[in-house]
Amino acid sequence: MYKLTGVTKLYHKGRRALPAVRAVDLMIEDGEWLAVQGRTGHGKSTLLNLLGGLDRPTQGSIELDGTNLSTLRQTELTRLRAQAIGFIFQTFNLIPTLSAAENVETALIPLGIGQPGRQRRVAAALESVGLADRAGHLPAELSGGQQQRVAIARALVKEPKVVLADEPTGNLDQDTRDDIIALLERRWRERGLTLILVTHDALIARRAQRTGVMNKGQLTIQTPGPAIPPGNGLSVQPPSR
Amino acid sequence: MFFVTYLRRELHRRMRQAIFIALGLALGVGLVVTVAAASAGVKKAESGVLSALYGVGTDVTVTGAPPGPPKPDSKSQNNQSSWGLQEGPNGQAEICTSSGKCTNAAGKTIDQLTASYSGISASKVARAARLPGVTAAAGGITLTDNTTTFSRSGSSSQSSFTLDGVDTGDPSLGPLSSASLTSGHSFTAADTDARVAVVDAGYAKSENLETGSVLTIDEVKFAVVGIVRQAEATSPPDVYIPLARAQTMQLYAGGAGSLTGEVTTIYVAAASAASIPAVGKEISRLLPGTTVTTEATLAREVAGSVSSAAKLASDLGRWLAVLVLIAAFAVACLLTMAAVARRVAEFGTLKALGWQTRRIVAQVLVESASLGVAGAAAGAGLGFAGAAIISAVAPDLSAMVPGPSGGFSLAAGQALGPGQGGIPRSAGPAASRMVTVPLHPSVTAGVIVLAVILAVAGGLLAGSLGSWRIARLRPADALSRVA
Repeated sequence: MYKLTGVTKLYHKGRRALPAVRAVDLMIEDGEWLAVQGRTGHGKSTLLNLLGGLDRPTQGSIELDGTNLSTLRQTELTRLRAQAIGFIFQTFNLIPTLSAAENVETALIPLGIGQPGRQRRVAAALESVGLADRAGHLPAELSGGQQQRVAIARALVKEPKVVLADEPTGNLDQDTRDDIIALLERRWRERGLTLILVTHDALIARRAQRTGVMNKGQLTIQTPGPAIPPGNGLSVQPPSR
Repeated sequence: MFFVTYLRRELHRRMRQAIFIALGLALGVGLVVTVAAASAGVKKAESGVLSALYGVGTDVTVTGAPPGPPKPDSKSQNNQSSWGLQEGPNGQAEICTSSGKCTNAAGKTIDQLTASYSGISASKVARAARLPGVTAAAGGITLTDNTTTFSRSGSSSQSSFTLDGVDTGDPSLGPLSSASLTSGHSFTAADTDARVAVVDAGYAKSENLETGSVLTIDEVKFAVVGIVRQAEATSPPDVYIPLARAQTMQLYAGGAGSLTGEVTTIYVAAASAASIPAVGKEISRLLPGTTVTTEATLAREVAGSVSSAAKLASDLGRWLAVLVLIAAFAVACLLTMAAVARRVAEFGTLKALGWQTRRIVAQVLVESASLGVAGAAAGAGLGFAGAAIISAVAPDLSAMVPGPSGGFSLAAGQALGPGQGGIPRSAGPAASRMVTVPLHPSVTAGVIVLAVILAVAGGLLAGSLGSWRIARLRPADALSRVA
């Protein structure tokens, strides 16, 4: 479970401090699917980076299962990401010199699993995204949709607790977008992941259990999710039905 | 295995850049190897000249002052056949004895032995051997046999050969110690004053001498027992005879003096290279008025292209190699930093996936070190090729070395003074002589190891700069560059 308390992230440009995320209070339950919408530059990706331990908040705290991420050392954060957090990026971020299977394998390298075990899990992961026959192909030899499937396989192969997806369909055509979202949704349901997905697409966001909107760094939850204890400072609006 | 696959694929992806970096390192390293090989070759040539002058194992040589009039011994004092050369009333060359009797020199051959240095008492050899820091000392005599033949028409022709008296009891010191036997045998301990000779191969060939031939020196017949060859491109003595025999040789035609009980050169072996300067000083104190020479002092006196080559290799060559190496390192660093900059998003992704910084740094370092190893291999090859080219095209080096006097020649008109007992010698400072040495650059294992270390160091330096950048990389910043 994630618990964000007064999380603020400021970027300094000269003497000016620009808030990317402002005083966000949020709780995300295990197994929840939260979609975060908002215009470009309003802090969605920054929030995702903070949740993934890729960046540290300027103020406030982020707890994951009771562990305050802000107090962890860099190596501890890295280890946490290796074990518990999967990332899916808008631009896929596959290593161009590695094949599809090897790209998926990169997620298992930090876990110290032996090669036979890695190969088995990689094969299963690619099978689950329908790319078993593309294991040896380089990213340049795959379509955009296929590359994103490989990225999804890479995110899921280590059976993470949390998957953070930053605009996973942003670079894909409509049909492929639907396929990818459907795949993510299936995996979310099958594995009980906590899925936090950033998207511009309202249709995709509506498929989530809960939707939040980032507006100039402030998060507003539009669709209420599981019961949230009062006094947490959330800005919650009842959904318009 | 994954590590190796990733490494191989990445180097393949930036093959052109990798080749450029490796070639740059190879050029720098190749130049270092070539210069080192050339330096080694020049040093070897220098050492060859120096050691051939005095023989392997000799660390210090002591030579007497330039020779003055020989001291008459009892034989010469009682010998009335001392003679000189002067111009007769009709302008012809005449040989005159000290008693004033003159005969026409036409049709006569005059044989003279001259010493290259003044004599040093042979007892000093034993005293030198007992000095602290000295392991052995041996005496020697260097003579030149000049033969002048007067034709009936009045013209004259001259020939000469050099003659070394060698201590047969200590073959490890002296000019014969560096010779290799090609025929027969060398002196034995029993040959102390035997009438035997060992002949240099070059002289033997020119005089048609072989083992068993007979050689006449100062009217004494010597049996040739061995033929030797000295180190390449030196000017060794033509003939070696036992020291005791050389000491009895009558200097000047007609017996005007000898070096009985004396030597002209003392060869000294020091206990270690570090003790040579101290040994030199002790000997100078023991034997004032002599010239004490070590390899270091002799090297300073050696002139000619061998010393110019040494200077060229050590000064210009070394600095050129250093500059090229620095340039190669700089290029490697710049290209590696550029490669790391292009892969910022890739490294950010790996960090996001849970790769520790040290693992990514190790990846980059190994990539750079691999290029360093490739550069080392290519550089070693270039170095060998450079050394081979120098060996093939470089002219022989010349060295003007100080050496013993080559004797003098008879001149018409030289008068015999009363009581002088001999013809005044055209003595002066020891004459320099030119020796030619081939240049053979040698690539040693040490130089190859140095080459590998330099190239890998260059690669690691480049990798370190890239790694430093990776270590400072924040994943969020790296990933934002892709977005």
